[in-house]
Amino acid sequence: MPNPPAASRMSLFRKYFLALFAAVVIPLLVAGVGEAWFGYRDQRASLNDLLDAEARAAAAKIQDFMEGIRDQLGWAVLLPWSENADDKRRLDALLVLRQVPPIQSLSLVDASGRERLFVSRIGLNRFESGADRSGNPAVTEARSHRVWYGPVAFQGGSEPFMTMAVAGNRAAAGVAIAEVNLKFIWDVILAIRVGRTGEAFVLDRPGRLIAHPDISLVLRADETATRPLRELRAAILARPGQAIAGQDVTGNTVLAAMAPIGNVGWSVIVKQPLVEAFGPIYAALWRTAALLVAGAILAAALAYWLTHRMTGPIHLLEDGASRIGAGQFDHRINLATGDELERLATRFNEMAGELALSQERSERISRLRRFLAPQVAELIDRTGGDHMLDGRRVEVAVLFCDLRGFTAFSARAEPEAVMGVLGEYYDVLERVVTAHEGTLTNFSGDGAMVLFNAPVPCADPALQALEMAHDMQIDVQKLLAARRAFDHRLGFGVGLAMGLATVGRIGSGGRLDYTAVGNVVNLAARLCSIAGDFEILMDRVAARAVGSRLPLIELDARILKGFDKPIAIFAAVIGDRK
Amino acid sequence: MRFLPSASARAADGLSRRDLILLAGGAAAWAVPARSQQPAMPVLGYLGSESPERYASRLAAFREGLAETGYVEGRNLAVEYRWAEGNYQRLPALAKELADRQVVAIVAPGGAEVALAAKSATMTIPIVFEMGGDPIALGVVDSLSQPGGNLTGVSSLSVEVSRKRLEFMAELRRGARLFAIAVNRTSPTANSQIRNLQAAADSLGLQLRQLEASTEQEFEALFASVAQVGAGGLVFTSDPYFAYRSPRLAALAVAHAVPAITQSRDFPIAGGLMSYGGDFLQSHRHTGAYAGRIIKGEKPSQLPVQRVTKVELFINLKAANALGLSVPPSLLSSADFVIE
Repeated sequence: MPNPPAASRMSLFRKYFLALFAAVVIPLLVAGVGEAWFGYRDQRASLNDLLDAEARAAAAKIQDFMEGIRDQLGWAVLLPWSENADDKRRLDALLVLRQVPPIQSLSLVDASGRERLFVSRIGLNRFESGADRSGNPAVTEARSHRVWYGPVAFQGGSEPFMTMAVAGNRAAAGVAIAEVNLKFIWDVILAIRVGRTGEAFVLDRPGRLIAHPDISLVLRADETATRPLRELRAAILARPGQAIAGQDVTGNTVLAAMAPIGNVGWSVIVKQPLVEAFGPIYAALWRTAALLVAGAILAAALAYWLTHRMTGPIHLLEDGASRIGAGQFDHRINLATGDELERLATRFNEMAGELALSQERSERISRLRRFLAPQVAELIDRTGGDHMLDGRRVEVAVLFCDLRGFTAFSARAEPEAVMGVLGEYYDVLERVVTAHEGTLTNFSGDGAMVLFNAPVPCADPALQALEMAHDMQIDVQKLLAARRAFDHRLGFGVGLAMGLATVGRIGSGGRLDYTAVGNVVNLAARLCSIAGDFEILMDRVAARAVGSRLPLIELDARILKGFDKPIAIFAAVIGDRK
Repeated sequence: MRFLPSASARAADGLSRRDLILLAGGAAAWAVPARSQQPAMPVLGYLGSESPERYASRLAAFREGLAETGYVEGRNLAVEYRWAEGNYQRLPALAKELADRQVVAIVAPGGAEVALAAKSATMTIPIVFEMGGDPIALGVVDSLSQPGGNLTGVSSLSVEVSRKRLEFMAELRRGARLFAIAVNRTSPTANSQIRNLQAAADSLGLQLRQLEASTEQEFEALFASVAQVGAGGLVFTSDPYFAYRSPRLAALAVAHAVPAITQSRDFPIAGGLMSYGGDFLQSHRHTGAYAGRIIKGEKPSQLPVQRVTKVELFINLKAANALGLSVPPSLLSSADFVIE
């Protein structure tokens, strides 16, 4: 059995795989991409809201911090100043310092702009110094706006401080000026957490970093290091109301939103690493990717299983087809898959059966055609009369014919010429025998034997045999006449006898002959051997059977070899009857 | 790990297969962190001017700061300690030892002497200092925001606020015009503090009498002189040698009935009258945090010098009562802690 080509198996697998993969993966892909896209939009929107809310909350916290200090300063400027030293105010100022740790120092200025009191954590306190502060911007600005927030200054080039001034309700109450240590905002900033690792920072109006969870970044007061933060703010300002993706100082990509701290003109920016912010979307994408891989594996497994299910029966069919093709028609394909494949197997089996029948028939016909005219062979085959070939005793007309002078010719002529003559001669004989529905039992050399009334019965065997002999003479003589021009001295004689003979097939398998045995066969052969060129000789039985339907001439009786008594011989008159 | 095969072989008779697997698994689980941690455990140098006992509260704050950055001594960090035991001349040699040990960083807390000793020992190993003085004036760093070299640290502001101690003492002793100041001549900040205090005395209209002590033996005489010169009170300059001996100073102040103010809260807690100085717990905690960040790979030149945000006034009312002093409300209202 030949091996099936591997390519067909592969392509079946590939087709199944592609189909199943598409069936599994395309919906997954559409769902996954859809989920990611809508997830992205929703997440982006909710991050916008979340970061915005966080920024506002952070701004509110810092504003509270500043306002808490402002309110404390407000207590110090409730009452108008008198000309005398005021111990009560001194105590109040010291209490403010104690209550509000971010205030590094506090000075109180009266209505005329003179410093009445200065208390500090680091420097010496001063009381009633009377120094003129009326030109100090803190005093002038606070007087016109009630509250003044000064610019941020980095003490020692490092620590952020801010001057804050609050004026009383009445001008007589004076102004309180405080140095505020902005490092305390660190506590506020540190408490702000966005998501898991998100954080907040504060920039002042010019963009200097005032507060950051990493305090050392603030204390470094390094404007180049904090440039990414300013750029982040610029990007947010360019597209207000939206969270913006940008870089932070460590180079991480973050999503950031901003809220202003109104009273001081600072900005609080909250940021969350992009990886964290879009974590759910990345998770969804990973899920989709995992599902795609799982889908591909499932599709491959299903394709493999289906292919496997298919290839078994296909192998059987292939094997069966090749066996049947090789002529093994009794082979049957056993498939019980209950599907189209089983039907196909059944068709194969039926085909094999029909092929077997048809081959058997064609074999039989070809066997019959070796000694029967084709139409007779067909007839026997159609009627299924194999038994017609069985041995029996029947009255037959036997005809022998051969060429005269052929032995001498074959010795003299070239083999090609000999074979050429024989070929043409056989063709003529066969054609004539077929036309007269005789049974051509055998050729041997230049001779042939033809039977009538066996195996197929005929109404008038003698007449049929004689008519055939007549035609043979005419046709062979025409052939010989053409040959005679080449100096081939050949003749043709025929002997014919009628009587009982035993007929039947002899031999078996590949070699099968149909023949007749009996005196009549010998007689016909003898008559042929004595017949001269252009002669048809027959015995009395045959001549009687023909009767007067054809002209016959009775010759002298002759002693023939193998026969005791002289045999009466008749010769047919040969001529064109038509 | 080497004991394992023999242990398994011994156990093989008595133990089931499952037990063996558990045993092997346990051994493997124990071996993995040990392998991954052993070579990675950094060694930090710690230079102390006194003994571990005197540093106890500071060490606790320092370890708190380390823990903020994720380091716990003995678990993922080894610390080499060198103690000068009060003998400050030994500091440079001890610092050299740590530098030779090639520690990942040297922590030099407890004053300018320690920082300067560490600075003299190495130009490459990062140093984290903690001091009361001004690190720029002392030549430890060039700039607070960008220290530049291999040093950074924390300043507790204690030196800068010496004048406030004189102010508080004058506030308490309203009538007195003469005050004694205690100075440790060996301190690198001594001169600047004397100048600072003299300027403050001038603006407050006070007179100062300078008393000196640089060893524990001189303390007794120091307190005795206060009464002799007729000073209204004794104001200690900021100096770690004094600060670490607060209990002794408090005992002497009580014994000699001297109103005194020092930089360290340990003084009023131990029975002294008052203290005003930077919060050393905060400064030592920041020192620990900075050490942790440097171990993690940050450059000291990138870490600005921090200053504590809290300067605290402690008043011991019991001591005041014992001295027959009434503390004015202005002082009480300024106090962060009042011990009653």
